[in-house]
Amino acid sequence: MSNGAAIRIERLCKRFGEHVVLDDVSFDIPRGRTTVILGPSGTGKSVLLKHIVGLIEPESGHVWVGDVDMAHASERQKQAVRRRFGMLFQDGALFDSLTAGENVAFPLKFHTNLDEDGRRARATAALARVELPDAYDRPTASLSGGQRKRVGLARAIVLEPEVILFDEPNSGLDPLTSDTIDALIVRMKAELGITFVVITHDIVSAVRIADVIGMLHGGHLVAFGSVDAVLRSREDIVRRFFARNITLPDPT
Amino acid sequence: MTASFFDFIAAVAVALLTRRPPLLASLEESYRIGVKSLPILLVISTFAGTNLAVQGHDAFAPLGGQHLVGMFVALAGVREMAPLLVAAMVAAKAGTEMASQIAVMRIRQQIDALEVMAIDPHWLLVVPRLLGIVLVLPALTMISIFVFLAAAWAVAVAQLGLNGHAFLALATDVTEPKDLLACAIKALCFGVVICVASCFHGFSSRPGPDGVGRATNAAVVTSAVLCAAVNYVLSELLYG
Repeated sequence: MSNGAAIRIERLCKRFGEHVVLDDVSFDIPRGRTTVILGPSGTGKSVLLKHIVGLIEPESGHVWVGDVDMAHASERQKQAVRRRFGMLFQDGALFDSLTAGENVAFPLKFHTNLDEDGRRARATAALARVELPDAYDRPTASLSGGQRKRVGLARAIVLEPEVILFDEPNSGLDPLTSDTIDALIVRMKAELGITFVVITHDIVSAVRIADVIGMLHGGHLVAFGSVDAVLRSREDIVRRFFARNITLPDPT
Repeated sequence: MTASFFDFIAAVAVALLTRRPPLLASLEESYRIGVKSLPILLVISTFAGTNLAVQGHDAFAPLGGQHLVGMFVALAGVREMAPLLVAAMVAAKAGTEMASQIAVMRIRQQIDALEVMAIDPHWLLVVPRLLGIVLVLPALTMISIFVFLAAAWAVAVAQLGLNGHAFLALATDVTEPKDLLACAIKALCFGVVICVASCFHGFSSRPGPDGVGRATNAAVVTSAVLCAAVNYVLSELLYG
């Protein structure tokens, strides 16, 4: 694997029964940049993300993270790789019985020797990074959709990972809150300088946050490259997908 | 399904054997299971005891053997009914709760989140429940036996007019310490069965409220069937 790639997807195939979800998908996710994987619903974006963290195994192909092939690694190897990842889930995947801060501090309990005060301080600092400095003691149930995502992001960054994965960070949010989340992702990227992988079907958001865009359709990667290169793609499906999403209606 | 069930058992076994068990969480589970199951268990054990005394009396009286009711109640209650009764109650109360809690965690991606955080969900979610139920189920079974016999004795004396001393003498004569040990062994095995079946169905839940409902239902059905089958095997091994 070249030094420039944080993750290499190699000839990945996945099917559920007769339904082919990923068909011979290959690409590199560049280190230190934001790669956005776009595509209509049901095209296997989330399945691809689950392959990257080793939550599901492919029919064939490889997912290289460093020297470890997540497609065929032992559970111990996967755990070692996951220790370098942070992930923001669609709904935050927060534990309802814990406060916002306890959710953020949760992985610290298992992967650091920090005492309770130390964990609290570090979780509060992570919450401050996502603009929720006073949220430590707030019950998870009292958080809005956007706040849940931000707490989820704070949890994803609290162990200072090398790669952060975002699964539909704007899903279920109103346009203004989506803008806030986008701005947060861009700022975090500038501050942390690590690899971001974002799965979304929101074109506006993708163009705003991406360094590199890949588009999945029908199980195939139909476009992959810089934002500019993908926007200029001659592929019919790519042009139709983008045109539908970023051409705003005439307000008059 | 069968393959994933055995994969699940293997994952729980690895989690149990390769890491220090979460003792505090296990004790909390024990307390929770015990406290939640005890009230219903006391009620059911009481009425099971009373009914068995009445039925035993009706069966033995025409033959002139009504004084054997104590022996009959002790044998049936201690050896078979109490352990199964406790298992059924705990499966209905604690087992369904385990299945639904874990199923909700599954559909809300919280289990995926644990895995991505490199935290073994089997160790965090199943091991404390397993140790908790294994610790508390033998104790609940002993309580159930006591309540069961006490209720049967009360009905035998107050309603059926039998001699209380004779009832107790026959009941204690046929109940040996090894019967109580066998009961504890059965309870322990039922605890493992209920926890593994319930947690497995929770882990395997399909999305949506329907998925949680199905997981909960499957947990109690699987637990009941497996406990009945295990009870037969254990009775053969322990008393056969």
